[in-house]
Amino acid sequence: MAVLIESGSTFSRMSRAQYRALAAVRWSMFKNSLRSTQGAIEFGASSVAFIIYGLMGLGLAVGLGAGAFGAAVNDEWSMLSLILWVLFVIWQVVPVALASVQAQFDLEGLLRFPVGFGAYFLLHLIFGFIDVSTIIGALCCLGVWIGIVAARPSIFAWSAFSLGAFALFNVFLVRAIFAWIDRWLAQRRTREIVSVVFFLALLGLQFLNPAFRGQSTSHARHVTANELKTVDSIQRWLPPGLAASAISKSADHAVDKSAESLSVLGLYMLAAGGVLALRLRAEYRGENLGYAPSRKTEMRHRGRWLIDGSGPIAAVIEKELRTLMRALPLLYGIGAPLLMVFIFSGLYRSTGSMGVHAAPMALLISLGYALVGFTQIFYNNLGAEGPGIQLLFLSPTPIRTVILAKNLFYGVLYLVDAALVYVLASMRLGKPTPIALASTAAWLLFSLPVHFAAGNAFSLYMPYRIRLGRIGRQRGSQTSNVLSMLIQVGVLGVGAGVFALCAWFDRLWISVPIFLVLAVVAIIIWLRVLRLSDSLANRLRENLITTLAKTE
Amino acid sequence: MLAAMGTAAIQTHGLTRNFGALTAVQDVTLSIAPGQFFGFLGPNGAGKSTTIKMLTGLLEPSAGSIEILGQPFTAGSLELKRQIGVVPEGMALLGRLTAPEYLRFVGRMYCLDKDTTNRRTEELLEFMQLANESRKLVTDFSHGMQKKLALAAAVIHGPKVLFLDEPFEGVDAIAAGMLKSMLQGMISRGATIFLTTHVLEIVERLCSHVAIISQGRLVANGSLEELRAGVASSLPGTESGQRLTLEEIFLSIVGAGAVETQQELSWLS
Repeated sequence: MAVLIESGSTFSRMSRAQYRALAAVRWSMFKNSLRSTQGAIEFGASSVAFIIYGLMGLGLAVGLGAGAFGAAVNDEWSMLSLILWVLFVIWQVVPVALASVQAQFDLEGLLRFPVGFGAYFLLHLIFGFIDVSTIIGALCCLGVWIGIVAARPSIFAWSAFSLGAFALFNVFLVRAIFAWIDRWLAQRRTREIVSVVFFLALLGLQFLNPAFRGQSTSHARHVTANELKTVDSIQRWLPPGLAASAISKSADHAVDKSAESLSVLGLYMLAAGGVLALRLRAEYRGENLGYAPSRKTEMRHRGRWLIDGSGPIAAVIEKELRTLMRALPLLYGIGAPLLMVFIFSGLYRSTGSMGVHAAPMALLISLGYALVGFTQIFYNNLGAEGPGIQLLFLSPTPIRTVILAKNLFYGVLYLVDAALVYVLASMRLGKPTPIALASTAAWLLFSLPVHFAAGNAFSLYMPYRIRLGRIGRQRGSQTSNVLSMLIQVGVLGVGAGVFALCAWFDRLWISVPIFLVLAVVAIIIWLRVLRLSDSLANRLRENLITTLAKTE
Repeated sequence: MLAAMGTAAIQTHGLTRNFGALTAVQDVTLSIAPGQFFGFLGPNGAGKSTTIKMLTGLLEPSAGSIEILGQPFTAGSLELKRQIGVVPEGMALLGRLTAPEYLRFVGRMYCLDKDTTNRRTEELLEFMQLANESRKLVTDFSHGMQKKLALAAAVIHGPKVLFLDEPFEGVDAIAAGMLKSMLQGMISRGATIFLTTHVLEIVERLCSHVAIISQGRLVANGSLEELRAGVASSLPGTESGQRLTLEEIFLSIVGAGAVETQQELSWLS
């Protein structure tokens, strides 16, 4: 008896059966994940994380909704444009920030089944809809819509269409960006180009500082006002500006103009969808990303840039460096906080009433924030090994040596990052006093061993695999993420608390010995954890190997 | 059964491993003499990889003991690990390194000095025909190339005992021939090799001794001739002097029932 069902379009019987099968398999995977204690804890942590994301989304939605209400009531539609730009940035940036911490499903695995392209595309979109960033973005869109409708009930339909198109554009665009970045990361040459571009972009940020500083003169203000006008005329033809324009024109009863803006927005939406479809089509057809260099290239590169030194510690450090240079997600994690430091320092500069210790406090907070970029590296330091974890257990090198080498390498890397943060913060806020600098350095001496000690334990107890060729579609550990965040907040809180207290009594120098004493305690704990890591790793090796070497 | 001469290279007593209620390996006792090419066979899910994982320290036995080169072996036996080379089930490769980088890393992890590591790396890459691929990342290698690299990594430190879990899977015929001669060369220099594979022809050609595991239990162990004699005497239709192939021996011990039951799939009949 033939039981094959006909193949066909996106909504054919076969496609619908496949959707049901996929939903069932996701449900089974979820149920199976609850079988182990670690899975149950993971689910609990995911729930907490989703509640936090949900609250963040609600908060943003209320804020943006209130802004939209104000803009609609006061007829200040340029404000709505600004709100939609903010929403656009959140929608496109949040997924990258959350890429490593939210569990995602790799749909490429479906290609071995007879899945039609339409179904494959649709599934990508559906998984895009249940993404945290889309949920936050959709909540914000809803908030903005409620704000507008509360002020102008007559335009509820036009604003719904406009915001709906804007939301769809964002979903298409963010999925397209992820798909293309994954494509570039799949090949070594493009991966290295992306890494270089990323670093150049980070360096380029440094030049914003002098640009901002030049605003004090009236001439500069005049030039800036002209530039803003130019920017405004351009942004009107970009999706956030078009959505705002469609809504504002409908409020002015200029339906034709509104329809024009909405149509252009629709074109953007189709273009983003087309870019995504182009990439997915290539994936669907099974593109070959194989790459082999010419003999000439191979000869040119032989023997280049080999770090000298023998022994396992040097070997691990060299391996980590090489791996890092080929892993954009990790580089992004390390480099991205620099951007936030730039913004933070700007915020501090704009609040002149923070007192004399505002700048050094900002430096301390900035350094604490830069540590966020190292969370994955410190708290899951074996995650990038993949199947190579077996080698670490097979070789005669103790695991503690491997972990020590990783701690040393990433510690130095963090100090380089910290130096960049110092330069950036000094440029924006002025140089801190020697005492404040000494206090911050002493805090770093306390902070790093705490993170190493906790991170090493987390890496052994709660490992998760980091797929270095991808910036999205990672499977993180919510438990590890939530707990490591708490530790980071705690360490930063201790630093800020001691610093603020000493500054309050005008005895900032006292913070230096306090931090040094804490540093000694933290170093002792770190060394103790390192000593224990061999027996701990041997005890937990089955889970480590199963988790990190699994092929999925 | 095998009688070990002097100190065994690999010795296990009552090796057992449970996963919850499932007993994957039960009471396996083996003694493998130095210089032996030992084939460890079994159907899928019989416990071969679990046994290798226990023998190499990747998995803790639930019961029983292991001795390698006459010394008790645990996951913490670092000195013994210097004498062991392994191609594990997942190959243990680091995808973001190139082949030379990976081999240099492995050499140094096995405490070889830098010059030795570099020299052996180049030699191994040439031998494995991977020298032309030295700029390519391991993650971009084909499965067969990855196998060759894993095997190169397993021998870079000149181990006395080599554990190979399906080393020929995905390797082309030319490379397989070279690998076989390399392994035979190691045996002739006194190394011991513990091999699991589903390609019985390879075992028949290379191995002097064979053990068969089925459903976690050791069901046969001895030289090929000993196994032949044992099976021939128990098979009613076997003529005296008939030379049974390893496949026939294997099927008669663990697979006879499955072959005799000529099941058919309803939609393919």
